[in-house]
Amino acid sequence: MSEARQFKSHGKAAGRHRLASFVLALACALVACSPDRSIHESSRTIVDELGRTIIIPEHAGRIVSLAPSITEALFALGVGGRVAGVTSYCDYPPEATLKEKVGDTLKPNIERIVGIKADLVIVSTSSQLEQYIQNLEGLGIPVYISNPRNLDQVLQSITSMGILVGAEDRARKLVSDMRARIDRVDSSLASAERPRVLFLLGTEPLITVGGGTFMDDLITRAGGRSISTEAGGEYPQYSMETAVAKQPEVIFVQFDEKQLPERLKQTPAGRANRVYHLDDDLVSRPGPRIVDGLEQMAIKIHPEVSWQ
Amino acid sequence: MTTRTAMSKVASVRGRLPKRLTARRLLITISVLLTLLLIVGVFSLAIGSERIELGTVADVIAARLTGRISSASPEHAMIVASIRLPRVLMAITVGAALAVAGAAYQALLRNPLADPGILGVSSGAALGAITATIFTDALPVSRPVAAFVGAAATIAIVYILGQHRQGGGAERLILAGVIINALLSSIVIFLVTTAGARQRSVLSWLIGDMSGETRLLPVVALFVLTGIAAIYLNARGLNLMMTGEEDALVLGVETQRVKLIVYLAASLLTGAAVAVSGAIGFVGLIIPHAVRLAGGSDNRLVIPASAVAGATFLMLADTLARTVIAPRELNIGVVTALVGAPVFIYLLRRTS
Repeated sequence: MSEARQFKSHGKAAGRHRLASFVLALACALVACSPDRSIHESSRTIVDELGRTIIIPEHAGRIVSLAPSITEALFALGVGGRVAGVTSYCDYPPEATLKEKVGDTLKPNIERIVGIKADLVIVSTSSQLEQYIQNLEGLGIPVYISNPRNLDQVLQSITSMGILVGAEDRARKLVSDMRARIDRVDSSLASAERPRVLFLLGTEPLITVGGGTFMDDLITRAGGRSISTEAGGEYPQYSMETAVAKQPEVIFVQFDEKQLPERLKQTPAGRANRVYHLDDDLVSRPGPRIVDGLEQMAIKIHPEVSWQ
Repeated sequence: MTTRTAMSKVASVRGRLPKRLTARRLLITISVLLTLLLIVGVFSLAIGSERIELGTVADVIAARLTGRISSASPEHAMIVASIRLPRVLMAITVGAALAVAGAAYQALLRNPLADPGILGVSSGAALGAITATIFTDALPVSRPVAAFVGAAATIAIVYILGQHRQGGGAERLILAGVIINALLSSIVIFLVTTAGARQRSVLSWLIGDMSGETRLLPVVALFVLTGIAAIYLNARGLNLMMTGEEDALVLGVETQRVKLIVYLAASLLTGAAVAVSGAIGFVGLIIPHAVRLAGGSDNRLVIPASAVAGATFLMLADTLARTVIAPRELNIGVVTALVGAPVFIYLLRRTS
C-alpha cells in the first residue's frame, strides 16, 4: 500500500525508471550468483532419450539418480560407487539405501542436489519428475532423461546409460542376459492364447495402465492383452462398467488382492481366483529387474505353459 | 449501470420476501421436480461407458424389483444392477444431502454464499472420513460417523471465527471458511500421501468422485433421510429466524434449539455425502439459489425442493463425468465447479 503511494508521488516516469533499474540490478545479481557455466575440463556431448543434446563431464563421478529403475541400472552397471545421491524410493540393491537421499516421495530437493556437488543427474519419465529438471539445467548441472516406453527401450536405455557412464562392456553383458531371458519367454509363449488382462494401480477411483507405457508392453510381452490399452492417457481413471464389460480373465493389482472391488470379483478373473499382486517393484520399474517382473507375470498369465 | 444496480436491488429485495406458500403450490413444485428427477434418472441409467439397450436396462431393473431372473446377459445385468443403479442412487442421495445442507447453512447463517464446500465443512468431513479409514478399516459405518464429527467440529470453528463484536459480516464468515478449508485440505493431502496404501486418491477426496464403493449406500441414505427430515421439521423456525433472531424469539421460536438441530443435521448430511463421494463443491450453493429464484425463499418449499433438485443435478453431473471421455472418467467435482463457479461469482457480485 505505502509503496504504491510512493510511486505515485514520484510520478509515473520516475516509477518506471526505478522499476527498470531494480530489474537490472536483480538480473545482474542473478547472473553473478549462478554457478560457473563454463564447460568442464574434459567434456563430451551426448543426446539423451528425449533427443536433447547435453554436455556432460567425461567421467561423471557424482551421479544423482532420480528414479529407482535408474539406481538399479547404475548399480547393475557396476558404477554404484559413483552414485552420490538417490531418491527415498531407491531401495535396491540394499547398498543404494545407504546413499544420500536427494528427494522425498513428492519431489527432488534441488538444493540438496547442488549441495552434494552433483555433476550428472539422471531422471526417468517413468517417475514423472522431469518437470523439475529445468531448474537443475539452469544451475549448470547436466540432466540425462531416460524414457523407456517398452521393454526393448528399457534395454536400449540401459545400453545408452552404459555409454553415458563409461560402462559399455558391463551394459552389453547385462543387456544380452536380459535379452536372452525375454527371448525365452517369447518362445515359450509363441503358440499361447492371449487372455484379457486388467492391471489396476488403484481402486478409488480405478486407475489402470494405458497404451504407450512400458507396463502396457510388459503385459503384451508376458502373453496377455491389456483391456485398457485404448483408454487414452498413460494411467487413466477407468470406468468400472467397462472394466466389467471387457471381462478380464486375469487381474493384476498393486494393493492387497483382498481389497479388489466387489464388482470385479464377478469377472472371469475374480471367479477363477486369478487376481494377483506381483512385487510392485519388479513390474513398475523399467530397470534391469523388469525381466524378473516379466517372467513372474508370464507365469501367472500362462500357468498352462511348461516353464523350466 | 445505475438502472442495473437498482434492478438487482429490487430483485434481491423481492427474492427475500417469501411468496405466500400454499399447499397446492408446494405440491405442484415438488411434483414437477420429481418428474424431472425421474426423466433424468432414466436417462442416467440408460447411458454409460458401455452401450446397453434401454429395453435391456428396463428389463434388468424390472427383474431386480420383482425378483425374477433377467433375460439380459450376465455382464449387462451386472453393469446395470450392480454398477449403474447403485451409482445413480448414490448420486441422488449425495446431491439431495449437499443441496439441503447448503440451504440450511444459508438460512442459519443468513449468508447467501454459505455452502458446505466454501465453509470448509466438506474438508472437515473428508478429514474425519480419512482418519476413520486409516485407523478403523474394519467398520465401514465409522466413515460417515467420523465425517459427521469432522463436519460438525469444522462448522463450529468457522462460525466462531466468523463472529465479530458487531455480529459477523458475510465476508468475515466466508474468509474464515476459506482459511479453514485451506488448512484442512493440506492435512487431507498430508494424510493421504503418508498413509499411501489403498486410500482414495487425494484428488477424489478434495474435489469429489462418485466411482467408489457403494456398500455404504443404505447407511448413507438413512443418515441423509434423517438429516433432511430434521431440517424440514424446523423449516418454519428457520423462516422466522431469517428475519432476525430476536423477532423469531418474540414469535415463540426456540432459536437455540432450532439452531442446534439444524447445525447438527446439516453436518450429518455433509458428513454422509463426503464419506462416500469426497468434497463435491457448489451443489449446496447453486441448487438452493435456483430454487429460491424460481419459487421464493420459504424454507418449507426450499428444503424439499432443494433435495429433489440437488439429486437431479448431481445425477446429471455424474452421468456427464462418467460418459464424456469414456471409458475414462472425470472427477464429478470438475463438472459441478464448471457450472457452480460462475453462479458463485454472480451471487458474490449481486450481494456485495
